[in-house]
Amino acid sequence: MSWLKWFEFRGRSVFHLSYSFHRLTGLVLVLYLIMHLSYLTSLTFGREVYEAFIAATVTPTFLIFDILLVLVGVYHGVNGLRLILHEFGLAYDARRPILYLSYLITLIVWLYASYKLYVFVVGV
Amino acid sequence: MEEKVKNIIFRIKRFDGEKSYWSDFVVPAQKGMTVLEGLFYIKATYDGSLSFRASCRMGICGSCAVKINYKPKLACETQILHLNSSKIKIEPLDNFKVLKDLITEFEGFFAKHETVRPYLIRRDDNYAEPVELIQKPKELHAYYDFTLCIKCGACVSVCPAASTREDYLGPAAMVAAYRFNADSRDEGKDFRLAAICSDGGVWRCHFAAECSEVCPKNIEPAKAIQKLRFQSAIYAIKKALKGW
Repeated sequence: MSWLKWFEFRGRSVFHLSYSFHRLTGLVLVLYLIMHLSYLTSLTFGREVYEAFIAATVTPTFLIFDILLVLVGVYHGVNGLRLILHEFGLAYDARRPILYLSYLITLIVWLYASYKLYVFVVGV
Repeated sequence: MEEKVKNIIFRIKRFDGEKSYWSDFVVPAQKGMTVLEGLFYIKATYDGSLSFRASCRMGICGSCAVKINYKPKLACETQILHLNSSKIKIEPLDNFKVLKDLITEFEGFFAKHETVRPYLIRRDDNYAEPVELIQKPKELHAYYDFTLCIKCGACVSVCPAASTREDYLGPAAMVAAYRFNADSRDEGKDFRLAAICSDGGVWRCHFAAECSEVCPKNIEPAKAIQKLRFQSAIYAIKKALKGW
């Protein structure tokens, strides 16, 4: 019995990969949530402290992390909707095309969001 | 015409009750030879202590499920040359306690089956004067696929929920539950749902759907679990309303 089996990829199908990434992105989002709440908590130490944090992270250097975070969030959200659909007992037989569709939606939303983020941070 | 023989290395994960180790054997494989036949060849030729389960040799009993090149398969239905590999890795099933070499403990697996009462439950059972229970073809097709389960344990072996919770019923037991819940002759749905609608039952499944991918009988256990989820939700709502 081991939770490491969640991330066993050898001999597994694309469905198990989706499951593993769902778990992994969930953990990343929890870490991000803790960071996000820490940032907001810094407001209690004054506006300057909060702005110093923001100035350190909303920069072109950190852009790559932001873009990856968007991918994590979009994947977790879209895959979560797919799971909810199936867990209601719906569209089970079409699970493979729906899985690929969810990947496509994730890619499109991620690319668009990344472009918007790039424009916002770099200002081009 | 002389049949082509190809030497294949069988890399087998062994367990002697104390430690795990790997053993390599060369098996001369020819067209049509199965992995199970390869295991019997090793036992007869190289090492009589090699332990594995097998019975029917025709994909019916489900005894010979092992991991072949990382994927759970029936050794009797897997042809060596179809694997297109000069080296075959054979391991016991995951999520089961290994007893010796490729033999795993199945007591817990069958105990879980018992908890879902995998048999027809009737209020009017009269063994003295049995009556025929009529069923339409449509009613038969509602559950027929799920009767094909051979209880090989391949689904449990790849289930990520079963890898972290020993008390999880697992896909095979839930397939059995759905098979009888969907049977028009059965009247024991509530008994089964009481066991299934629990933390260790349908709600523990995270829909990795890998069970459906590896099932040697293409039963789609994940489908049965999702259908049971719906039945369980209705059961839980009814139960809650009764309590008011």
